[in-house]
Amino acid sequence: MTEHWERCIRLKEPLKTKPFLIFAGIAGLGLLLGLYRELTGLGYVTGLNDGYSWGLFKNWNVTALTALGSGGYAVAVIAWIFNEKRFHPIMRTAVLTSLLGYGTGMLALGFDVGRPWNFVWLADPRTWNHYSVLWEVAVCMTSYFLLALDVENMPPFLEKMYRSGNSKKKERAMKVFNFMQKTFPFGIALAFVLPSMHQSSLGSLMYLAGPRVHPLWQTPLLPLLYLLMAYILGFSCVLLVLALSAYAWNLGWDAEILGRLAQVMSWTTLIWLVVRFADLVHRGVFGLAFTFDKFSVYFLVETTLVLVPTVMLLSKTQREAPGSLFRWTFLVALGGLLYRFTPTTLAFSPLGDYRYFPSAFEILMSIGFTALAVAVFLYAVKTFAILPASQGKIAAEEALRPFDTL
Amino acid sequence: MQSEVISSNSKDSSATFRNGVDRRTFLKVVAQAAAAVGLTGGMAAKMIAAVEKGARPSVIWLHFQECTGCTESLLRTSHPGLAEVLFDLISLDYHETLMAAAGHQAEAALEAAIKKNAGKFVLVVEGAIPTKENGIYMQIANKTGVDMLKHVAASAGAIVAIGSCASWGGVPSAAPNPTGASGINELLPDKVVVTLPGCPANPYILLGTVLQYVALGKLPELDELGRPKFAYGRVIHEHCPRRAHFDAGRFAEEFGDEGHRLGYCLYKLGCKGPMTHASCSTLHFCEVVDAWPIGLGHPCFGCTEKNVAFTMPMLKPAEIVRPTPPATYAPVTAPQGFISPIATGLGGLLVGGILGGGWMASRKLAVKEEGAAEKKADTTGTSGKE
Amino acid sequence: MDANRREILKALIGGSAVAAVATTGMPLATQAKSDKFELQPDALGLMYDATKCIGCRACMPACQNANGLKADVGGSGGLYMQPDTLNARTKNLIKLYVAPDGHERSFMKQQCMHCVDPACVSGCPMEALHKEPHGVVGWDPKLCIGCRYCQVACPFNIPKFEWDAVNPKIVKCELCRHIVGTSATEPACTKVCPTHAVIYGKRSDLLAEARRRIKERPGFYFEDRVYGETEAGGTQCLVLSHVDYSNLGLPKLGKESPAAETRKVSDFVYRGFLTPVVVYGGIVAIVRNRWKDHLKHEGHSGGSESHGEEKRA
Repeated sequence: MTEHWERCIRLKEPLKTKPFLIFAGIAGLGLLLGLYRELTGLGYVTGLNDGYSWGLFKNWNVTALTALGSGGYAVAVIAWIFNEKRFHPIMRTAVLTSLLGYGTGMLALGFDVGRPWNFVWLADPRTWNHYSVLWEVAVCMTSYFLLALDVENMPPFLEKMYRSGNSKKKERAMKVFNFMQKTFPFGIALAFVLPSMHQSSLGSLMYLAGPRVHPLWQTPLLPLLYLLMAYILGFSCVLLVLALSAYAWNLGWDAEILGRLAQVMSWTTLIWLVVRFADLVHRGVFGLAFTFDKFSVYFLVETTLVLVPTVMLLSKTQREAPGSLFRWTFLVALGGLLYRFTPTTLAFSPLGDYRYFPSAFEILMSIGFTALAVAVFLYAVKTFAILPASQGKIAAEEALRPFDTL
Repeated sequence: MQSEVISSNSKDSSATFRNGVDRRTFLKVVAQAAAAVGLTGGMAAKMIAAVEKGARPSVIWLHFQECTGCTESLLRTSHPGLAEVLFDLISLDYHETLMAAAGHQAEAALEAAIKKNAGKFVLVVEGAIPTKENGIYMQIANKTGVDMLKHVAASAGAIVAIGSCASWGGVPSAAPNPTGASGINELLPDKVVVTLPGCPANPYILLGTVLQYVALGKLPELDELGRPKFAYGRVIHEHCPRRAHFDAGRFAEEFGDEGHRLGYCLYKLGCKGPMTHASCSTLHFCEVVDAWPIGLGHPCFGCTEKNVAFTMPMLKPAEIVRPTPPATYAPVTAPQGFISPIATGLGGLLVGGILGGGWMASRKLAVKEEGAAEKKADTTGTSGKE
Repeated sequence: MDANRREILKALIGGSAVAAVATTGMPLATQAKSDKFELQPDALGLMYDATKCIGCRACMPACQNANGLKADVGGSGGLYMQPDTLNARTKNLIKLYVAPDGHERSFMKQQCMHCVDPACVSGCPMEALHKEPHGVVGWDPKLCIGCRYCQVACPFNIPKFEWDAVNPKIVKCELCRHIVGTSATEPACTKVCPTHAVIYGKRSDLLAEARRRIKERPGFYFEDRVYGETEAGGTQCLVLSHVDYSNLGLPKLGKESPAAETRKVSDFVYRGFLTPVVVYGGIVAIVRNRWKDHLKHEGHSGGSESHGEEKRA
C-alpha cells in the first residue's frame, strides 16, 4: 500500500451509528451508576476493602489507561524533539486520544475518592504535602489537563470557529491561534515536562508500599519503567486507533508513518526490557520468575506479551503488513497495560488476609468511562478535522491552513 | 402521731432502746442497713447519732393505684425485726396499710402530720395515679388521687415514689391504659421526685435513700429519671452472676432444658437484663439468697423500665445497648473481602471480548491487505499480458 | 546537527542558571521538616507488654466509649462487640495468637503505631494525616479527600475507611488526643488496663523501661528486643512479647522508614524543583529551532505545496 496521509479530514459519516449508540449507552449506564455511588457510598458499589483500597478506578482507569492516553505526549516527543516531521499529520489524532484518556481517567478518579468536596484544597498551596507522590500526580495531572492538553486540542476547534462564517468568531479564532503560534515552544515544553513528571510518579506511588509489592515489580526504578511504558502504550494506542480508523473509514494505509511509529515503539520497548531485566538481575530476584506461583505466572505472561511482539516488530515485513502490525501492537499494549496494573493490584499483598475482585458495578462503571472516551472520539472525528487521510478519501472537510501547522 | 408497733425482739441488756431493742442489736441492724445500701461505716454512726438526738423525720406514705406489693416487700425486711426498729429511725405518721386508725381518725392524723412537719416530712408514694376524666377513677375520702397528691406534696420536704407504679405508671398504665395511670413525677413537674422503680421495688433501696436523708440531710445522687445512681446506675446485664455464660455463648434455649438446668444465661428466653437498670442481681429479695427472678431461673422482665415492663413481650430478646466483647478472641489474621461470582463472570466475559475483538480486527486487517494485494497482482498481471 | 547540539548546551546552561537563581531562598526538598520525620524529645506513645496482658479486653469498650464509636457487633446478631479486625468502628483490638500445636499463646493489642516517620503522613497529598504535638499522628477531616493512599502506604495496615458512609472518615487510634490534656491525663485504654500491660508515657521513658525489663529477664522476651525501636524508622508505640513478633501480626521491617526511602528516590530525580526547570529550559531551546523551521516552510507564508513532498525531505 502506498497511500500517504497528506491531510487531516472530518469524516463524512453519520454520527448516530450503531457502534456510537452502543458506546454512548454503556457510557450513560456507567455515569448513572456513578451517581448511585455518590448517593450511597463506595462500600455499596465496589468490592474495595481496607486491604485493597485502590481498585479498578485508580489502578486501571488512571494508572493503566492514562498510559494509553500518553499518545499525545509520546508522539509529540518524536515529532518535535527528534524532529520526525512525518508524524505531523497524526498529531491531532494523538492529542485527541490523550485528551480522552486523561479526561476519562480523571473522571474515574473523581468518582473514586471518598471526600471529593475537599478537592478544593488542592488549589491552596498551604495544604500541599510536597513529599507526597500522590500530591505530585494530582497537581501535575490537573495542570497538564488544564494548561497543555486542552490547548493542544484547540486547533480543530478554532478551525471550526473560523469556518463558521461569523466574522467575530473568525477574528477570535485567529487571535487565539496567533498567540498559540507565538508561544508554541513554551507550550510544548510544558506538554513534555508535565507528563514526564506524573507518568513517572504513577510508578513511584507503589514504591511507598515497600515489601507489600512483590519483588519482581518493586524497585526504585519504578518511575523510569512506568515512564518508558507510558511512551510504549502511547505509541501503541495511537497505532491501534489509526489502524482501526483507517480500516473502518477507508482512510488509506500510510505504511511509512505506521511502520516508523511501530519501529520507534519497539525500540522503546527494547530499552524498557533491558532496564527491566537488568534491574531484576541486579536485585537478584530474577529467579523468582520461574517459581511458577501466581506472581511468576503474571510476570511470565506480561513479559511474553511485551517481548515477543517487540522482537517481531523489529522486522520490516511484520511492520508493513497491517494484520501483523495490528496484532503485535495489540499484544504489546496488553502486556504494557498489565505491567502498569500489576504492581498496584495483582502483585500487591496487603498485610493480613484480604481478597479483592471488582464488583459488577465497579466493572460496569469502569467500562462506562472507557466507552465514554470511545463515544466522544467517534463524535469528535465526525465533527472536527482530526483523522489523517490520503488524497483519495472523500471528506466532509479538510484541515485548514494555518490551523493544521500546530 | 406515733404508729403502734409491736416489738417482738425484746432483749434484756444494760441499755434498752425504744421498743425494747437493745443498743447492740440496734447498732448491728443500722450497720447492716447501711452496708446493704452501700453507705460506709461512718454513715452508720451519723445515723445513730441523728436518731439519738431524736431527729426522726416524719414519713407520710400515700397509696394510690397499687397492689401494696411495695409495702409488703418492705415488711419482708424481717431480720431481725427490722421493720420495728426502723420505725424508730423514722416516724411513720400515715400509712393506710399499717396504721391502726381508720376513717375520719385517719384523715385527721394525716392533716395533723402535714401541719406539724410542714416542709420537713418525707412523702413516700406507692401506686400510680389515674388522670383520665379528672382522675375520678380513684378517690379516697372523696378526694381524687391527683388532688391528694398535690395537696400533700405541696408541703413535703422530700418526695419518694416507690415502685414502678408511682415511678412511671407500672401495671395500671399497661396498654390500653384505660384510667390514664401515670407516675407521680409527671404530675409534679416542678419538684424533685426520687423514683425507685421495681415491681416490687427492692426495700433496701428505700431504706438506703431514707437513711441517707436522715444521716446527711440530703438525697442521694439521681439520674435523669430521678433514680438513685447507687441502685439504678447499672443494667442487670452488667452485674449478672450468669454473665460469664452470656459471654461464652452458653444459653438456655427452653425452660427445663439442659442449659436451663445448668444455670446458663437466659438471654434467649427473653431476659431483659441488658435493658433494665436495677440492683436485683446484688440485692436479693426477702433476704433469701438468689431470691430474685434470674436467680430462680426466670428471665428478668424489666420491671423497673417504662418501655420494657408490661410492654415488650416476655420472650422477645432484649437489645444490648452497650455490647462488650465475648469470651472468644479475634485471630491474628482474619480473612476479609468478598468476591462476587457475577463480577468474576462479567470480568471474564470482558477480557474474552477484548481478546476476541483484537484477534478479529487483526484478521480483518490481514484479509483486507491480502485483498488489496490480490487486486494489485491482478492489475499487474493484466497489464503484463498486454 | 552541530547547531542543534550547541543549542541544547546553551539551553542547559541557561536553564541551570535560571534554576540556581530560583532555588536560592527556596527550601529544598532534602531539607527535612524535622517535626515530620524526626523523633521529638517529648514524643509520647504506648508500650504494650504482651506477657502482662490477660485478654480482659477492658480496653476495647473503653476505647469505643472514649471515641464515641458504635460497637462493631460482627456476626453476633447484636449480642457482642466482636470485630475480627480493626475497622471503621474499631480503633483498638485485642487478638489472640495460639501456636498451631498449642505450645504457646499470646494476646496482641493492635492499634496505630504512631511511627516516628510515618508512611501515611508522607503519602497523604493534603496533610490530612499529620503529626500533632508529641508526635501523635492525627487525622483532619477538613483536608482529607478520601484517596486512601494512607491505607496503601501503612506498613501495619492501620488506617481504616468508612466504606458504607456517604461522608466517609479515616478511622484510627489517635492516642485520645481529643481528651488527653483536657478531661483525661492518659488514653482510655491505658486507664482501664488492670495489669498495666499497656502503659502511656514519653517514648524515651517507655523505651528505657522496655530495655530494663529485657535486661531483667534475659532470654524471656523474643530475641531480647522491643518491637518498634527501629522498625520502619521507629514507632512511638512499642511492643514486648515472648513469642515471635511475626506471629502477632507485626511485620518484619527494616530500619529505614518507607517515607525516607521514597524521599530519596524523589530527591534523586527532582532535586528540589531543579530537574523539571532545567529540562523545561532545554526542551524550549530545542523546539524553538524546529518551530522556526516549521513556520518558515508551512506557516503563514506557506502556499499550497503538498505536505507529502515537504515532509519526506
